[in-house]
Amino acid sequence: MAIDYKKELISAAKTMILVHDLRLLIRIIVRTIVQKVKVTHAGILLFDKGKESFVLTVSRGSKGLRIPEGFARMDNSNPLIRFFTLRLDRKILKDGSLTTREAKRKLKDKKLKPAQKQLLKAAIYQMEIFEAVVCIPSYFHDELLGILLLGEKKNGRDFKNDELDFFAALASDVAMAIRNAQLFNELQQELDKKHHLFIHTTIALAVAIDAKDHYTHGHTSRVTQLSLEIAKKLMKKNRKKFDDKMIEQLHIASLLHDIGKIGIPESILNKDGPLDETEQNRIKEHPIIGATILNPIKELGDAILGVKYHHEKYDGSGYPEGLKGKQIPLLASIIAVADTFDAMTTDRPYRRGLTKEEAISEIKRVSGKQLDPRIAAAFEQIYLEGKI
Amino acid sequence: MPKLLIVDDEIDVREFAANFFRKRKIEVSTAASGEEAISFLEKNKPDLVLLDIKMPGIDGIETLRRIKQIDNSIKAIMVTGRKPEEEQAFETCKKAGALDYVHKPLQLDELERIVLKNIK
Repeated sequence: MAIDYKKELISAAKTMILVHDLRLLIRIIVRTIVQKVKVTHAGILLFDKGKESFVLTVSRGSKGLRIPEGFARMDNSNPLIRFFTLRLDRKILKDGSLTTREAKRKLKDKKLKPAQKQLLKAAIYQMEIFEAVVCIPSYFHDELLGILLLGEKKNGRDFKNDELDFFAALASDVAMAIRNAQLFNELQQELDKKHHLFIHTTIALAVAIDAKDHYTHGHTSRVTQLSLEIAKKLMKKNRKKFDDKMIEQLHIASLLHDIGKIGIPESILNKDGPLDETEQNRIKEHPIIGATILNPIKELGDAILGVKYHHEKYDGSGYPEGLKGKQIPLLASIIAVADTFDAMTTDRPYRRGLTKEEAISEIKRVSGKQLDPRIAAAFEQIYLEGKI
Repeated sequence: MPKLLIVDDEIDVREFAANFFRKRKIEVSTAASGEEAISFLEKNKPDLVLLDIKMPGIDGIETLRRIKQIDNSIKAIMVTGRKPEEEQAFETCKKAGALDYVHKPLQLDELERIVLKNIK
């Protein structure tokens, strides 16, 4: 019975490695200790790079002993911090944890140098200020990451040796977990940076496509906006299908849907009048050209399908492959609706664009024929909500 | 026994600090806002006031001004954050008559020293 909290702490240690949110992690640790070991209070001083000091990040326990988060700190010059950073713990303590009882006994030790004695005395005083009777340091490769402070046990008894041993073992797990969380955050930031670079590069490419086709200026960004708006609407009905990854792929696919126009002569793209059959056939190559351009970029995944099939029609009358209904990838069907709407409402040299109202009724008319009816319906709803 | 008034909107701060100074043989009263502090000081005279700057309602600086209007001899120490605008706020407090200040997160031994020095 006496040591059954150990199990709890071990299971906490196991969850620790999975938690990448540092604050949450530390909260879990401190809460577990206070509840299971039944101490008056506990807190963790954690090194804060920005403040260049150890800040009491989390503290729990009885009223008056619980120290408010972010209220107290210890600078690097603080005797308790120096005691551990100078690794006096290793020199004069056997199991890594500093208890006031053991420390006071050590003060009488004749082998201790005066400077060490002085520092130890000052460290004890720091512990007394926090009403802590045990301090357990957490190191990662000799770098002090934090210190766990524990108040007395509620039953007034001393901590047993096996308990202290156990805390020391826990502290090393904590250090590992803290370091893990820190590395994870750094990695996440690095990934975010790369991801931004990728998105911005894609946008730059999309702008380049738009620049080539004079009559459709701004077309790509409008289709992208509309496509994402449609996805947002559909997401409310099916959260599972429309996860972050899917939205991201739609974003990329809509930005790049016309990239194949790079391979179409400008004389055709910018022609002042209706296109003849040969010219129309050239234009119809742009989805395949686009997919071919993007194909080497494996990371794009399904986004390429969105580019390749955005001119397929629901009834199978589209191109390049004449896919039908559910054969058409969802990304492509969404882009198709957005693309159709934007093409209808944009002025061309040989015709004026439709009004929004006219375009919507046209979309309703071709829903289930050219366009996927679910997506056309979602689009109409967005229009009725005034978002287009 | 010397008397200390702690003014802070956070209950944990009040309770921790009250407990901390009671153990150091100081009679502690607490107030949760500038308004509460002012009405307390109209009837009582502590030897020192520990006053948080950032509080909803009347902030610490305004509270200090009003305290000084009630009794100019009341001594106050301000508790500030590390943000530059709050550091500047201390300059304003000094003009309004604050004795000293401590930064949050604060070093408890420093807090102890400053309070004990000024409460005598």
